Amino acid sequence: MKAYVFTDRALKRHAGQFVWLSLDTEKAQNAPFKKRYGVDAVPMYFVVDPKTERVALRWVGGATVPQLQKILADGLVAVQGGGRGVEEILARADRSYAEADYGKAAAEYREALGAAPPNWSRFARATESLLFALYQTKDWTACAKTARDAFPRLKQTSSAANVAASGLSCALEVPKENPARAELVKTLAAASRSVVASPRKDLAADDVSAVYETLASEREDAKDEAGKRKVLEERARFLEAAAGRAKTPDARAVFDSHRLGTYLDLGEPERAIPMLQASERDLPDDYNPPARLAIAYRAMKRYDEALAASDRALAKAYGPRKLGILQTRADVYKEKGDTAAARRTIEQAVELAESLPEGQRSDRTIAALKKKLESL
Amino acid sequence: MKFVRTAALALTGALAAVSASPAASREVLPWVDDYGSAVAQARARNLPIFVEAWAPW
Repeated sequence: MKAYVFTDRALKRHAGQFVWLSLDTEKAQNAPFKKRYGVDAVPMYFVVDPKTERVALRWVGGATVPQLQKILADGLVAVQGGGRGVEEILARADRSYAEADYGKAAAEYREALGAAPPNWSRFARATESLLFALYQTKDWTACAKTARDAFPRLKQTSSAANVAASGLSCALEVPKENPARAELVKTLAAASRSVVASPRKDLAADDVSAVYETLASEREDAKDEAGKRKVLEERARFLEAAAGRAKTPDARAVFDSHRLGTYLDLGEPERAIPMLQASERDLPDDYNPPARLAIAYRAMKRYDEALAASDRALAKAYGPRKLGILQTRADVYKEKGDTAAARRTIEQAVELAESLPEGQRSDRTIAALKKKLESL
Repeated sequence: MKFVRTAALALTGALAAVSASPAASREVLPWVDDYGSAVAQARARNLPIFVEAWAPW
């Protein structure tokens, strides 16, 4: 979003409509906000009414410029009120969604969609929000059916990738004994393949990448190893082309994590080294490239280089992200046969995890680290 | 929404889908980075607050 959306000059006309607040959730000073507003995934976007400090609208994940413009317009309505009919129902659904009351939100989004006129301009956003609410309540079948039914109407929009992949992801979670599963998987896999076969220009590249990722999961579900590998190879080519078109190092590095994940899945971590070295060179303040290099070198069993990269990442990292870097480091020590160093590293991670402020501290993470320590 | 992606982003895992350098361009929108001052400004100007909660990984 920072590299591709918030830099778009089409947003300039919205500058005076809001106070624009950007919060790095890894920084300790923003932990109270994270706790208060339940930020359990990033990126996450809110429209907040400053009088009550209540969230009027929330959006999880990325958005294209046109999607963001609709979110901004709906956020104004949600704060100012005055919406009527279906817009009022949508604003009510948005408030439930913002309060993470997903069961209620799903019912209200359905109500809005049911009451909407045929060419309702909010159809895509309401559908995507409904899908997320159904996903959160683990109503897999309803999620998949909603995506299947909405896709024909959205296939020519910037929501196509998300609806297809999210629907397929839900369909794969439907229990195998459910007779509806096979048809849902087949239909949504076909929809997903149609998205990647000729991606629209207004689709976010990371959304298309997520479609490939879900298609790889679908092939894995079908126990088709060769098919999965083919999808991963296509995903790698797509991401390499997208990175090749990037105009700045920031814009190019957006694809680093997707590419690294793909190369790891292919069993070819060495393919990530040149891009990560370039990112480390071009973005010297960013801890991500050396942190990712540590992962790639570990997969290649080049342990000393993994530890050196980990040192460089730790020197720049802050907040909860340091825990992930320390865990990779402990894994490197363990695989190298130095169990004592692995233990010391996990002990360091536990100490850090316990010292994080509320909003960043996670009991689940602390428990997982302690379990890992016991296993060493 | 992108929850397929978000499921991975929610964790403090080693891989994450979005890179968001703090150095990213800010010239299009007048961002602030402090919640208290955003609330004060918004109340004074009678404007809602748009919040981007992000992580640099």
